[in-house]
Amino acid sequence: MGTRSNRNPRRKFLKYIGAAGTVGLAGCIGADPGEDDDVDSDTVVIGSNHPLSGNLGGTGTRMDNAVQLAAMLKNEAGGIESLDGAELEVISGDNEGAQELGGEISDELIDDGADVLTGCFSSPVTNAATRAAERAGVPFVISVSVADAILQGAEMEYIYRPQPPATQMAVDHAELMPQAIRDAGQDIDTAGIYYIDIDFGQSVRDGLEEELPKHDIEVVETVGIGFGETADTQVTQLQAADPDAVIAISYEGETVELVRAMDDQDYQPPFLTGCANEALNDRRALEQMGDTTEGALATNFALDPTNDRAGEVRERFEDEFDQSFDANVAMTYAATEVIIAAIEEAGSSEPDAINDALAEIEVTDHIAAMPPITFDENGENENALAPLFQVQDLQDRVVAPAEFAESEIDL
Amino acid sequence: MFATFAIGQTVPVELFGFSSETAAVPLFIDLSIGLQLLAFAILLGGIYGLVALGLTMIFGVMDVINFAHGALMVVGMYAVWWMTNGLGLNPFLTIPIAVALLFVFGVLIHLTTIAPIIDASQENQLIVTFGVLLIIVSTIEIAFSADPQSLDIDLGSVGIAGIYLPEGQLYALVFAILAVIVSWAFLQYTQLGRAIRGTADNRDAAQYVGINVPRIDYLTFGLGAALAGLAGAVIPLFQQINPHLGDAYLINAFVIVVLGGLGSFPGALLGGMIIGFVHVFGQFYLPGSGYQIAIFCIFILVLLLKPSGLLGGDSNE
Repeated sequence: MGTRSNRNPRRKFLKYIGAAGTVGLAGCIGADPGEDDDVDSDTVVIGSNHPLSGNLGGTGTRMDNAVQLAAMLKNEAGGIESLDGAELEVISGDNEGAQELGGEISDELIDDGADVLTGCFSSPVTNAATRAAERAGVPFVISVSVADAILQGAEMEYIYRPQPPATQMAVDHAELMPQAIRDAGQDIDTAGIYYIDIDFGQSVRDGLEEELPKHDIEVVETVGIGFGETADTQVTQLQAADPDAVIAISYEGETVELVRAMDDQDYQPPFLTGCANEALNDRRALEQMGDTTEGALATNFALDPTNDRAGEVRERFEDEFDQSFDANVAMTYAATEVIIAAIEEAGSSEPDAINDALAEIEVTDHIAAMPPITFDENGENENALAPLFQVQDLQDRVVAPAEFAESEIDL
Repeated sequence: MFATFAIGQTVPVELFGFSSETAAVPLFIDLSIGLQLLAFAILLGGIYGLVALGLTMIFGVMDVINFAHGALMVVGMYAVWWMTNGLGLNPFLTIPIAVALLFVFGVLIHLTTIAPIIDASQENQLIVTFGVLLIIVSTIEIAFSADPQSLDIDLGSVGIAGIYLPEGQLYALVFAILAVIVSWAFLQYTQLGRAIRGTADNRDAAQYVGINVPRIDYLTFGLGAALAGLAGAVIPLFQQINPHLGDAYLINAFVIVVLGGLGSFPGALLGGMIIGFVHVFGQFYLPGSGYQIAIFCIFILVLLLKPSGLLGGDSNE
C-alpha cells in the first residue's frame, strides 16, 4: 500500500504470519532458574519444574507453591532428621507449559544443584522433563501429569508417579460414577465427552471411550475444546446428542466456559460429571460457576477429607499464598511428601540414594485420598486412586469409596 | 442451506485421520441446530472482525506488523475487568474508558518504541513489537496472576424461537459493526482521515503535500491500539480472561487481515465473518481442533485465487 522502499506488503505480512505461527506467540518471561547458584551444603535441594507463566501459569504457580509449602513445613518441624536437621531448599524453574522447555528446565535445575526433581503438570512437558532427569540419573517424582506414555513401556529407573495415570482415571470414573448413580436408583445409559484438545484430554478421553461401554454406557458424542475458546458449539452438539451424562475432562477455564454455555443455552443434562477435572474440586471455581454444578459428580485425585492434617495444610496454604487449594495443589503437595519421605529414608542427599529409597518406599502419612503410596517396577503408584466426589453446597465432598467418604451421595 | 431432516448420510470421523470412536457426524443437520450454529458463527465473526480492524489499520498505513496487538487486547480486557470488579463501575461504562486508555497507551508505545525505528528494516519492527508483547503480558501476569478471571456479572442470553444468543456476544457484535462504520466514516469524511489514507497510499508524496507523516503514524498506532482495546474490552462480557488470551485471537486475526484485504475495514469484517463461520461449522463437523485445518485451507485458497484479499485493491499487489 505504501511506497517506502521496494516492498511487497502482502508478502511481508505473510512471512511474518509464518513467524507468528512458529513462535506460537507463547512468549512468557519466567523466573530465571539460574538465579539460585549458591546452594548450601547442609541443604537438600528439590527442583520444581512447573509452568509459572503461560496458559497453565495460574495452576502451575499454585503447584510450585505447594512444593514450597511442603518444604517449609518440614523445615519448621526441624528439617530432615536422618540428616541431622538438614534443611530443604526448593529451586523453581518455569517451563511455561512448553514441551521444548521441559527437558531444558530439568537440566538447568540439576546444574543448579537439584538432588531430586518434581513437575510438570502438562504431560508433554513432563515427558521431556523426565527424560532429561533419567539421562542425568536424578530422581523425578511427577507432581501431576496423566498421560500413560510418560512411564508405561518407557523402562525408566528414576521416574515415579503417585497419581493415577489416564487409564486408571478412566477406569475409576467409568466404574465409580455409574455405580453411584445406579445405586441411587437412577438410570444412566449414554454419555457425551467434553475434553480439552491436548494430550491430557485426549488420553483420558481415549480411556473413557474404552472403559464406559464395559459398564453399559454408550458414548454418543465427543467434543473437543482448545485454549481460549468459548464452548457454544460444543454445548449445541452435546444438547443435540442428548446424553444422560456430560463428562468434562478439562482445566478450570474450559470447564467454566462449558457451564457458561450450558446456562446460555438453557441446557442441563441429567448428570454433569468430571474426570480429572480440576475445576469441580476447586471451590473458587465452583463458586464462580454457581448452581449449575450443584450435584455434579467427578473423579479426581483429591485431598483426604478424613485426614485432619490435610485440612490444616489446606488452611495454611490458603493463608500463606492467598490462593485456592485445588486437586492439583493437593497432589503436588502429596508428591513432595513422597520426596521428603524418601530423603528421610535415604539419609542422604545423593540422587542415587534417594532413588533407591523411592523404589522401595511406602508412604502412609500423606494428604491425598488414596491408600499408602508405593511404586511398582514402572514407577507407577500401585495404590493410586481417583475417588468420587460430589459438589454439595458448592463444595467438593468425597462420596466414594467408603474409606475416604465424608458425605453421602445426594442425587 | 440446511435440510430440516437428517437424511442419514454420515461422515466417518476416520476420514479425517482421527481415532475417536464416536463414529459419525451427520452431514445434514436439523434446521434449529443449523440456525443456532449460524448465530454463533455471526457472533464470533463479529468479534474476529473487531480484533482484525486495528491490525489492518496499522499495517495498511504504517506497514508495521504489530505483534503486540493481542497484548493490547489483553490490556483492554483487564482494564474492563479491574474497573468493573475492583471499582464497581458498570462494565459498559468501562468500555469507552478502556478504549481511550488504549489510545493513549498506543501513542506512548509508538513514540517510545516504534517511531525511533520506523525507517529500520521490518525485522527490527517485528522484534520490537514482539518485545512489547512480552513486556505487557508479563506485567499483567505479575500484577494480576495467570489465573483466569471473570466479570462479577452474568448477562445471560436471549432466546428467539429456540435459538439462544448470548447477550455478551451480541453486544460485542454491535460494537464491532459500530466500530467499522465509525472508522470507515472517519477515514472517508474527515480531514485527518483523508490524511491517513493519503499516507497509506504514498508516504513520500504525503510528506511532499504537507502531511505531517510522523504525526499520522502515532495517531494511527493510537487508533489501532484503541481498536485492539475495544476488541479486548468486550471479551470479558462473554468469556473468562487470562493474560495469554490475546494470542488465541491474534493468529486468526492475521489470517482475517489477509483474507479481507490488507488495509480494508469492510474486508476485516467480512474476513472475520468467514473465519467465524468456518470456525463454528468446522468445530461441529470436524473432531477436536480440526477446524483450524479448514481455516488455513481457505486461507491458502484465497491466496492462490485472489492474493490481494477479498476486498483488497490492486495497490496491495
